[in-house]
Amino acid sequence: MSPEIWQITAFTLGVAAAGTGLILPFGVALAWLLARRDWRGKSLVETLVALPLVIPPVATGLILLKLLGRRGPLGPFLDSLGWEIVFTWRAVVIATAVMSFPLLVRTARVAFEQVNPRLEQVARTLGAGPWRVFLTITLPLAGRGLVAGAVLAFARALGEFGATIMIAGYIPGETATLSLSIYHLVQLGRDTEALGLLAVSLLIAFGAVWTGECFLRKRPA
Amino acid sequence: MHLLPRLLLCLILPGLLAAAELNVFAAASLSDALKELAPRYEAKSGDKLRFNLAGSNALARQIKEGAPADVFFSADEAKMDDLAKAGLILADTRRTLLSNTLVIVVHADGGAAVSTPDDLATPAVRRLALAETQTVPAGIYAREYLLKLGLWPQVAAKVVALENVRATLAAVEAGNADAGIVYRTDALISPKVRIAFAVPAAEGPAIAYPIAVLKDAGSGEAARRFADFLASSEARTVFLKYGFLPAAR
Amino acid sequence: MNLRLENLRLPLAHFPLEVDATLSARVTALFGPSGAGKTSVLELIAGLRRPAAGRIRLDNTVLADADAGILVPPERRGIGYLPQDDALFPHLSVRQNLLYGTRPARPRPADLGFEHVTGVLEIGHLAERRTGTLSGGERQRVALGRALLGAPRLLLLDEPLARLDGPLKERLLPYLRRLREEFAIPIVYVTHAPDEVVALCDEVLVMETGRVRRQGAVADLFAPSAQPRYELRPEPPPAF
Repeated sequence: MSPEIWQITAFTLGVAAAGTGLILPFGVALAWLLARRDWRGKSLVETLVALPLVIPPVATGLILLKLLGRRGPLGPFLDSLGWEIVFTWRAVVIATAVMSFPLLVRTARVAFEQVNPRLEQVARTLGAGPWRVFLTITLPLAGRGLVAGAVLAFARALGEFGATIMIAGYIPGETATLSLSIYHLVQLGRDTEALGLLAVSLLIAFGAVWTGECFLRKRPA
Repeated sequence: MHLLPRLLLCLILPGLLAAAELNVFAAASLSDALKELAPRYEAKSGDKLRFNLAGSNALARQIKEGAPADVFFSADEAKMDDLAKAGLILADTRRTLLSNTLVIVVHADGGAAVSTPDDLATPAVRRLALAETQTVPAGIYAREYLLKLGLWPQVAAKVVALENVRATLAAVEAGNADAGIVYRTDALISPKVRIAFAVPAAEGPAIAYPIAVLKDAGSGEAARRFADFLASSEARTVFLKYGFLPAAR
Repeated sequence: MNLRLENLRLPLAHFPLEVDATLSARVTALFGPSGAGKTSVLELIAGLRRPAAGRIRLDNTVLADADAGILVPPERRGIGYLPQDDALFPHLSVRQNLLYGTRPARPRPADLGFEHVTGVLEIGHLAERRTGTLSGGERQRVALGRALLGAPRLLLLDEPLARLDGPLKERLLPYLRRLREEFAIPIVYVTHAPDEVVALCDEVLVMETGRVRRQGAVADLFAPSAQPRYELRPEPPPAF
């Protein structure tokens, strides 16, 4: 593999990991709330979370572009923090984070729902406060499902294109992920080179999804 | 009784035959001018026009892959040569209609401090929006110009490549790029950017907009008629209004 | 002990739960058909559900007061709870299960030491096993042991023998008797089987569609009969 392909692959893995890491705490917390609590407006939250899964990725990208652009509503705020987002690697991380979020939340929610609430209740009667119950009972029992959710989110992040091209664009060395690079090469008519990147993408995606599915399969009794 | 229906048919048929639908593949920079000319032509000819406006490279690729186009109006000769070599155009219909000049634009509202091309190399410009510099005509022209000035090595790292010249313009409008190089005609239609530097036609690259009818055109006659219309003085007045230049002789 | 359920009200699926009763016996039975609301009463006492109206007081402490907005969380009530499915933690060993409730810094009565409890329930030899490898009877005894080792001041048992077949039930009954004899912890025992009431309990509350219909000593309310071995005596006619 050429050094260029290495760089692009390493960059793609890096931003996918960063994006997944970014949504992990918030996504798991939200999944727990959706699994265990009820509140007015819960359906609205569920719908909003599912949106990036359903609306075209470029549409999500457009929304992000309008929100995060230098002259968008968040522009001045981001400027004051010295954070430039659009057309930088940060945009890639954000795009992958947003697109992977629904997948993480859904999988994690199911994982929490599969933990018998009776176990948590009994733990409380044995003197454990809510945090101790979460850490010693809920989390270990939901563990495999949570890992599966993270891995699937990571796999989704690896292949992200539509939203990424909108807010990050293709800048070699700065925002060039595997999918963006494939697109760019095809545009230049360099299809055969694109095939090399394609092979790498398939390999990584296969590995990621396979791992995720392994964790989703029930533990042998 | 025989005469009446035959008379009616004679009146309607030519109308039916003449009502062609034309697929016009044209460079993005021609958008506004063509949108103004379209209703005029449709009313006059009875034909329907359907536009596919994008970077000329994307259009050329689509045509090569079999997209149903009747007329191709490109922003550079190279794309037209490409199709000619592949035997896809009617050579006798090819002619160069227009030219254009490049400008450097910045945001109209407190944009970056740029008044000459050299300013593009300063820290004031952190990101420079160009159309993709190896494939899209506007980007090719811009890179050609910057190479000529010896500025390319200094600005190459700042370049954000966009899909076509209108996307380039949008990037500057949104403030996501500090400056951009687009056609003068693009800068003129956008109130959100101002021209920081206009490249004199003599110093800039030779920009040419050729047009041709495609060999596989659905209705060759209607396509030729439209191409002729675009070459007419009526159409030229509109193009010049938008800032295009007549084809360099 | 004195457990006061004052005008408790909780909407259930088909009818409201409305209970006003005082429990002071050593072992009190909550007797009635399925769906009468017995489990819900236990959940209210344990603090797993919040009453819509009314108060719960245990000795001198208010555990819940709907009007005053008081709700002591389960982990601070010191009330042990055995749900109908034993709810052993599947990812922990038997020992870890047993010791789960032993952290709180409440003073432990001497008779609730690990050796004593596992001895009485005869589960000491199971300590290093995984919960998935235990039999039904073993699971129940471990669940009991776990609740006891939490040093509760009140123990709630929700039909502990319901999921066991005849012979297994017979084998477990002595352990429940030992529970009564060896440990001075008041018990509320939910069941729909009359012979369990007679075998283990001192007082009984008869519940039906969310309300307590009768309350009294077991000897007064239950009479021997052919099969099952005991049955509920008919209600005496109202006095004029």
